[in-house]
Amino acid sequence: MAVKTITQPTSRPSRLQKIWKSMSIIFESRVATVGMSMVLFWVILAFISLFWTPHDPNASDFIQNQGPSIQNWLGTDHLGRDLLSRLMQGTQVILLKTRLPGDAGISIPGGVAIWGVIGSLTLGSVLGLNAGYRGGWWDQIIMQVLDALIAFPRIVLYLVVIAALGQGDLVVILAITITGAPGVARLARSLAMDIKTRDYIRAAETRGENVWYIMFREILPNARGPLLVDGMLRVGYAIFAIGTLGFLGIGLPPPDPDWGNMVNEARRNIFSNQLAVMWPALAIASLVIGLNLFADGLREEMTRYQK
Amino acid sequence: MARFIIRSIISTIITMLLVSISLFLLIEVGSGDITVKILGVFSTPEQRASYAAQLGLDAPAWQRYIDWLIGNDWRAKNKVGYPLVTSINPQTGEADWWADVDGQLTRWTLEEGRLLTLKRQDDGSTTSHISSGAWQIDEEGREYFWGVDVKNNAVMWVRGAGAEVWALTKAGLRKEGDGPMKYIPLRKGLLRGDPGISLQYGRPVAVTLVSRIRNTLVLAGAAFVIIMPLALFFGILAGINEGKPLDRIISITSLGFTATPEFVTGIFLILIFGVWLKVLPAVAIFTSADAIFEDPKLIALPVLTLTAVELGYIARMTRASMVEVMDSAYIRTAIIKGMPISRVVFKHAIRNALMAPITIIMLHVNWLVGGLVVVEVIFGYPGLGYYIYKSAIFGDFNAVEAAAMVTVAIAIITRLFGDLAYTLLNPRIRYS
Repeated sequence: MAVKTITQPTSRPSRLQKIWKSMSIIFESRVATVGMSMVLFWVILAFISLFWTPHDPNASDFIQNQGPSIQNWLGTDHLGRDLLSRLMQGTQVILLKTRLPGDAGISIPGGVAIWGVIGSLTLGSVLGLNAGYRGGWWDQIIMQVLDALIAFPRIVLYLVVIAALGQGDLVVILAITITGAPGVARLARSLAMDIKTRDYIRAAETRGENVWYIMFREILPNARGPLLVDGMLRVGYAIFAIGTLGFLGIGLPPPDPDWGNMVNEARRNIFSNQLAVMWPALAIASLVIGLNLFADGLREEMTRYQK
Repeated sequence: MARFIIRSIISTIITMLLVSISLFLLIEVGSGDITVKILGVFSTPEQRASYAAQLGLDAPAWQRYIDWLIGNDWRAKNKVGYPLVTSINPQTGEADWWADVDGQLTRWTLEEGRLLTLKRQDDGSTTSHISSGAWQIDEEGREYFWGVDVKNNAVMWVRGAGAEVWALTKAGLRKEGDGPMKYIPLRKGLLRGDPGISLQYGRPVAVTLVSRIRNTLVLAGAAFVIIMPLALFFGILAGINEGKPLDRIISITSLGFTATPEFVTGIFLILIFGVWLKVLPAVAIFTSADAIFEDPKLIALPVLTLTAVELGYIARMTRASMVEVMDSAYIRTAIIKGMPISRVVFKHAIRNALMAPITIIMLHVNWLVGGLVVVEVIFGYPGLGYYIYKSAIFGDFNAVEAAAMVTVAIAIITRLFGDLAYTLLNPRIRYS
């Protein structure tokens, strides 16, 4: 997705136009536009929360289980923490930062969901391209192993990986990578099998290019579109998964608030304070639905002219 | 066709084997020291080491994998020298291990340096005798004896050098002298229907698992019966009206439901029906084993949650397949030649359109299991998913492995059936 910095001044207008053209496909679909605005809402909130939240998200400054008031716009939770601040801060671990293990408290940019999807796209396309382009035994063995991975119910795999490696941002990324890779690999494989019959691949083979060069410089750029749309959908799945793990109590560790875990903690007080459980639940649902609508609209728009 | 079936079955078996190895390895790598969980953090290293030996954890990993898969009684049999058999204990209803000494079920125990032979009577009780002349002598001149102890282990005692072991009793850890030097916890192995002892509950996994599987099947079955007709109906309805407002409404609603995590849906259903309307129980607490049949209200909310999540997905699949079929040339021909639309839809389109969703549902069982874990945790429903969750959190590897293998087996076998059904229904694949 990285937009390359433009080096040659002469090519600037055409590049920009290209980017704009590929962006404008979003606005042609109403579904994608709605989805994108839902996602943008949370992304903007995430950036705001980096610099400002109404209150300290982890401080028990208020009376517990209060409804909305002027002071706490969304109310407070069972420990007297401001829900709006926690909700805002909760976007960071998903979208903006990954906390590295250790006491130093260092974070790298890019949320857990983003890195998880990048991981599964990378691993999946390496495996899928090898299987699809090389064929034969490579294909047999890679697909057999991936079949075994797919056979695992996802949640069981998450549970086993996290029970085995312990909680942590990197472990969640690893779990998302492992569970996402087989799907990406299947897609990449079918794309590679289709593309490898084209003439330019034949030409590259005749030139005597390296296998890896053909896979990553010839095939991958031409398979980019479907893989990126798939990746977009996967960000939705990843947030879905992070929420579920948080709900099960094995997701992203504290101190940063995690939406799934907020739902899990608040549901114990569901009879006295329904709002505390509703806000994070709504937040997860809206973000995942937004991403799904966006990816879905995009895919529909891209395949419309291919028929 | 026969070749295709055989190839699918072989591939399925290889997949299962790979899954079991990777599952075992994963748990092996990370599960840490399970004895800390069982004995508590205040146990001493000797106590942990002693208990780990009693669990057979001192054996190498490959050995334990084989034991887990196909059992170890055949290995222990060579050491003991008698055939090892299981017999149902009338008091607990669970199987105990015995050595079959010339038709007499026998165990041994070491008390105050004397080896006692316990012989099982027909009524289930035992008589003990002092056994003499049983000791054998090894190269170093020690007197040793391999036998079956009263805790279903094949053990090696050494005379005069009784090891001090820590036995876990209901009252806590107790130090015992005269302990065995080596343990082989007897098990038949997964393939022979014995996944071992649950470390969390202290009972055979097979016993605790069966009722959980039944509960889950009831839940999934009830959800399935509701989901299928509804999903197919809405999917077909949306498919025929492609692009119209009705299609938009159905598509977006089903996308919304699919994209909402199960626990969010579950929480909202609890809020609506359990907290505000107070018409349905918000948790599924089982007061007896057959509670679901006595009070079907208990599973109303779990079933509703599963329905909400799965309905959308299958409806979308059906819609996509229906749209594709409605676009095809033969449907256009039928419409152009003046056939009534209802006849076109019911006679020609639906049959072809349903093929894809039905096989996709077979592939979708994995997702269903994932949904089940979350739904069962939300409602505290004692099913397979909750069991996996609890066991994984505890690190009860015997239970996790067995339960996960059950889910994997269900997923793979339904997939095999899906593949076969698709090939049978679609001649184009069969002959290519």
